Amino acid sequence: MKQVVVHPERCVGCMQCQVACAVAHSEAKQLVPALFESPRPRSRIHVGAGQYNEGFPNRCRHCDPAPCLLACLPGAITRVADTATVMINVDTCINCASCAMACPFGVIRYHEDRSAQAGKTVAVKCDNCLARQREGGIPACVETCLSGALTFETLDAAYKRQTDAVARSVSALAAAEDLAPGWALLNAHKKARLELLTSPAPSDE
Amino acid sequence: MQYVIIGNGIAGVNAAEAIRRMDPDGRILMIGDEPLLPYCRPMISMVLEGSVPLAKLPIRPASFYDDCKIEPILGNRVTGLDVDAGRVDVNGKRVAYDKLLIAAGADPRPIRAEGLGLGNIAYMRTEAHVRRMLAALDGGARRALVLGGGLVGFKAAYGLMCRGLAVTMLIRSGYPLSMQVDAFAGGMILDTLTAHGLDVRVDIAAEVFEGKDTVEAARLSDGSRLDCDLVVIGKGVLPALDFVPRDRIEVDLGLVVDLFLQTSAPNVYAAGDAAESIDVARQTRWVNAIWPEAAAQGKVAGINMAGRTVPYERSLSRNVIRIFDLDVMTAGVVDPQMITGTEVITRFDPATRRYRQLVFQEDRLVGMTLVNAIEQGGVLMALIQNRIPVAGRRERLLAPGFNYRAVA
Repeated sequence: MKQVVVHPERCVGCMQCQVACAVAHSEAKQLVPALFESPRPRSRIHVGAGQYNEGFPNRCRHCDPAPCLLACLPGAITRVADTATVMINVDTCINCASCAMACPFGVIRYHEDRSAQAGKTVAVKCDNCLARQREGGIPACVETCLSGALTFETLDAAYKRQTDAVARSVSALAAAEDLAPGWALLNAHKKARLELLTSPAPSDE
Repeated sequence: MQYVIIGNGIAGVNAAEAIRRMDPDGRILMIGDEPLLPYCRPMISMVLEGSVPLAKLPIRPASFYDDCKIEPILGNRVTGLDVDAGRVDVNGKRVAYDKLLIAAGADPRPIRAEGLGLGNIAYMRTEAHVRRMLAALDGGARRALVLGGGLVGFKAAYGLMCRGLAVTMLIRSGYPLSMQVDAFAGGMILDTLTAHGLDVRVDIAAEVFEGKDTVEAARLSDGSRLDCDLVVIGKGVLPALDFVPRDRIEVDLGLVVDLFLQTSAPNVYAAGDAAESIDVARQTRWVNAIWPEAAAQGKVAGINMAGRTVPYERSLSRNVIRIFDLDVMTAGVVDPQMITGTEVITRFDPATRRYRQLVFQEDRLVGMTLVNAIEQGGVLMALIQNRIPVAGRRERLLAPGFNYRAVA
């Protein structure tokens, strides 16, 4: 089973995934008409700043066990086992924000959504684009990501790549593979610049 | 293996499900006082408010007991517990256990006053209580008196205001929710409620209720008389442990449990509102009588009862409430005086009415009070609950959004 894997070291913070996510969850499925829909489609992936101001695409991890699922008062959150997806039933959701308190990643938002009854504020988060997947597609954020910060693959494949990299890194003789060619340089630059700008005490900007 | 679970609330339900997953053949008996399907207790305040119908309260389908092969014993409370013989008494019957979970929950803290037997005077704890209040509303109740400014009293007052009643609230401290929020946030809540018409009276108690069949007025401790046709008592809860032999099991306020939610008696576990475990933020024993705690503790207790040793070290007081246009989320230490060596930072933005108070002890976040922009409060909660040292500049955590830079 394929899942979305996030590689923050490759994220350049372009936020195209946010646009793609919002469009994918719109009625029209196209950017321009989507802009005029009401309620306006919103992204379920949120690009923030990482440790050195690199981009950080923050999305639902579909945890197992999921703290939001355990905390949900009306039992609106369930796991769809065959897709490893934690889903919110908007008809059952009562907008109590218990899941906001439980989510350690801060990825749940509360607003109106096309999937819910008109005028009802509900908890909204990543649904792994199950609708697109059913039609043979892949999650919109992955499809649009050009830097390779978001991939859609089996966890086995992702783990193997990391394990191989670690294995190579312990041998001085083996050439180290640059996991994120170019981005490593960019991130090193960002980090150095930030340290210069902010010493002695780092600041918010 | 014979498992007996006292309580069919969320702790008992999660325990039963955890046991059933790990032990398909063991016998599970579940004793519940309320003859209902397991239901969501916190949602009764939303039923009162009118935002959720009664029919939405059950948290499991009608086939729950059958699905999990649970033998329910409903409608009566446990009256005795013999830890040497390994049995509990319920409704004149003796039920033997190999493993016992006490998830008996808590009862409303009783008050002392005359005339408590009159109609339309209710505690707010159970489905039956909220039905009684709804009946009073149908009967045309217009003026409500709410005793207590804690979570229950507060939710009752809010619910009744949403129903269009004139509500007077009697509280001991200067602002509502004084156990849940700091003084500043408490002031914001009080202002909002007052602006919507709540009449709050401080340092005053009801002494006598008057009326023919149903309550018509209350005489207060300052000698004044207040007309009211509905009274809600919300003065907190006490663990329901009348049946527990205190000479055989260590009881403080709740049943004292170890890391594995086991009590001092062999094969007896406790979870939920009846259990007292180590609070993460306070680092001392504490009864955190809240739904998410009960849900988590029940699950872990069930796993331990079924034979796998799993510690539970995450007990933390916390709450999230939406009232009118305010969203409030709190966790851990809200009163910095409560523990030693705290450092407090706050930020208030009058334009957006966003407020944050963060309480640190050394390099750990131990408490938070957030008003508005609460969506990512769970990240701060995770910092508290996992005791993660905060190395970066603490002020960054006061920003309404959250970036991982902030904790680096």
